[in-house]
Amino acid sequence: MTLTVGAPPRHHAPADLASGFLTAGVIGAGLTAFIGGCMVESVPMLVTGLVVPALYGLLFLLVKLPRRASEAAVVPCRALAVIESREPVWGETSDVPVRFDLSVVPDDAPAFRVEMWQDVNRVELTEYRSGGTVVVEYPPDRPWRTRIVRRPTPQWEERAAVARVASVPGPVVRSETPDSSLNGFLNLSGLLLGVAAVLLLFRADLFDFHEGGNGAVPGPSVSSSSSTITVTSMTGTVAIGPGRSMLDESELRRGVESLTQGADKRRAFTVVVQDRLLTVVFTPAGAKVAGFEPRSLPYDRVADLVEEARTTLNVDSPRSWQLIAESATGPLRLRVVVTGDGGTGTLEADGKGEVLRRNGS
Amino acid sequence: MDWEKFLALWCAVWAVLALAGYGMALAGVTRAQRTVRRTGRIEQVRMPRHGGSRTGGISVVISYRDATSDEEVTVTNDGERGEVITAAWEGREVGVSHPRGRPHAYRLANTPQEPSRGLGQPAFALFLFYCGLVALVAVGWGWPWALIGLGGPLAVFAAVHLPGTVRAKNHRIEKLAAMDTVHGRIIAVLKDVTVDQDNGTSTTITPVLSFTTHDGTAVTAHCTSNLPDPAGSYGRDVTVHYAPGDLADFTLDRAAERRGEKLDVVVNALAVVVLLGAAVVGMAML
Repeated sequence: MTLTVGAPPRHHAPADLASGFLTAGVIGAGLTAFIGGCMVESVPMLVTGLVVPALYGLLFLLVKLPRRASEAAVVPCRALAVIESREPVWGETSDVPVRFDLSVVPDDAPAFRVEMWQDVNRVELTEYRSGGTVVVEYPPDRPWRTRIVRRPTPQWEERAAVARVASVPGPVVRSETPDSSLNGFLNLSGLLLGVAAVLLLFRADLFDFHEGGNGAVPGPSVSSSSSTITVTSMTGTVAIGPGRSMLDESELRRGVESLTQGADKRRAFTVVVQDRLLTVVFTPAGAKVAGFEPRSLPYDRVADLVEEARTTLNVDSPRSWQLIAESATGPLRLRVVVTGDGGTGTLEADGKGEVLRRNGS
Repeated sequence: MDWEKFLALWCAVWAVLALAGYGMALAGVTRAQRTVRRTGRIEQVRMPRHGGSRTGGISVVISYRDATSDEEVTVTNDGERGEVITAAWEGREVGVSHPRGRPHAYRLANTPQEPSRGLGQPAFALFLFYCGLVALVAVGWGWPWALIGLGGPLAVFAAVHLPGTVRAKNHRIEKLAAMDTVHGRIIAVLKDVTVDQDNGTSTTITPVLSFTTHDGTAVTAHCTSNLPDPAGSYGRDVTVHYAPGDLADFTLDRAAERRGEKLDVVVNALAVVVLLGAAVVGMAML
């Protein structure tokens, strides 16, 4: 057996530091995406929050697998060692971390000095006094991973009891204590970068939710850079900024919810939806008109109904559309009006979004 | 739509993993199938030190015969070695297992183990696949299907196990009645103090009981239940009831054990009722 005494352990190789940084980044990104996804009910964010850490974990495991397998295949060596010095770090726990300085004397390899840390129960600490002989175990290729065997076999126990082990001078193999400041700094940076990446990537989902959520509460009219919400006693309107459309299910749902939140969930007389404008006409207080619950609209069917109206009503080059939901004459009815160069087409559907009739131009 | 895609992906991943697991089991290459299992014997029991730690269980020396060389190998339960041995006596048979070709990575079990095909993990993957499938059906056809899909099969599973639980209870009560009674003594009280970020320190007290059976076997065991004031129990004489066939099966209070056994049956029966109820409610709400 050969032993390279004093071979410095290669801790903090750039790969280790990069791995810590990346892991922290994935944790930050995953958590932010998951929590953000739960808050704004965004499926892509939720899925990102779950899938990215899972994939990273799998990849990490696969990359580390060969190294771990080769390390596990190494048969550890047993040897006698003499304790040169020991320094317990007293704390509240029953197991205290102890720094040991050992002279390890293997039977068939050169002796070496090693400095290592091991947790020892404070009651058992008397068994590990300076100058005492102990049995140790170490992987031959990584002597700095030496550990004291707490429960040696009877043969080794007898050997340790009768042997006189001489001290070994000279270079101490030590497991370097992690440079916690550099490590910590890199990990924190990774974590923050991961959080920032998710916030940047999903900024539309996250910040629009925030604006929409706050919009209707404080006063009758609130403007923001991307949506304008106006609520009066009779009507409520939501106008959204360019690049967005009420055909997006979540956009429409958010608009309706922002107009109808609060303790007095008001019923609607009519709801009119256009590409970037939503108008809700509320039933007057005390009126005998039943109206309908605007939140009960079949949001998931709106885009399909509009698409159907644009394509099946023979309207040439359809330019604009409008969906009117009302229940004045009976059960809730949805009417989609599409206007184009060649005239106007109307499609009618019931409260669940099932098409009832079509009137082409 | 997105949810459905996500659930479909979930199902696909677990189905692939389950298939891979079953394929590996058929090919005989699962970790469990590559494990060498031997029966070891406790040769020596070392007395715990009063006030020490319970980590690692009772210190024992175990010998077993190596599968390839047929030589006697002596090992101890030092470090992370699988199951923690909390009841030990000289001559007790324990399970020793290690990956093929790596006897140094041995692990211990409280009882000698039968060869396993390693179907646990693929079965779990199959269960997760099934859960995904139920969620997919619930999203597509309505949430009552979730109650039917999970409540129904689990109720059947629990119902199939109910007779076994009842038999086990009866067997256990017979065993408790047939127990021998001897005097024992608390020979040490182990104390483990750990620091918790939220609640400060947390202390675990583990009394160690020693008793000698009628046929002269000295048993040393951790005794964590049915002992009042465990912290102050050092040196206390106690009455121990033990099963002559399995000395690890001992108790200080037979009545409490009997009550616990009845509780198992009640919990199992309750599970059947609740799961069945969930399935019926699901069907009614369709």
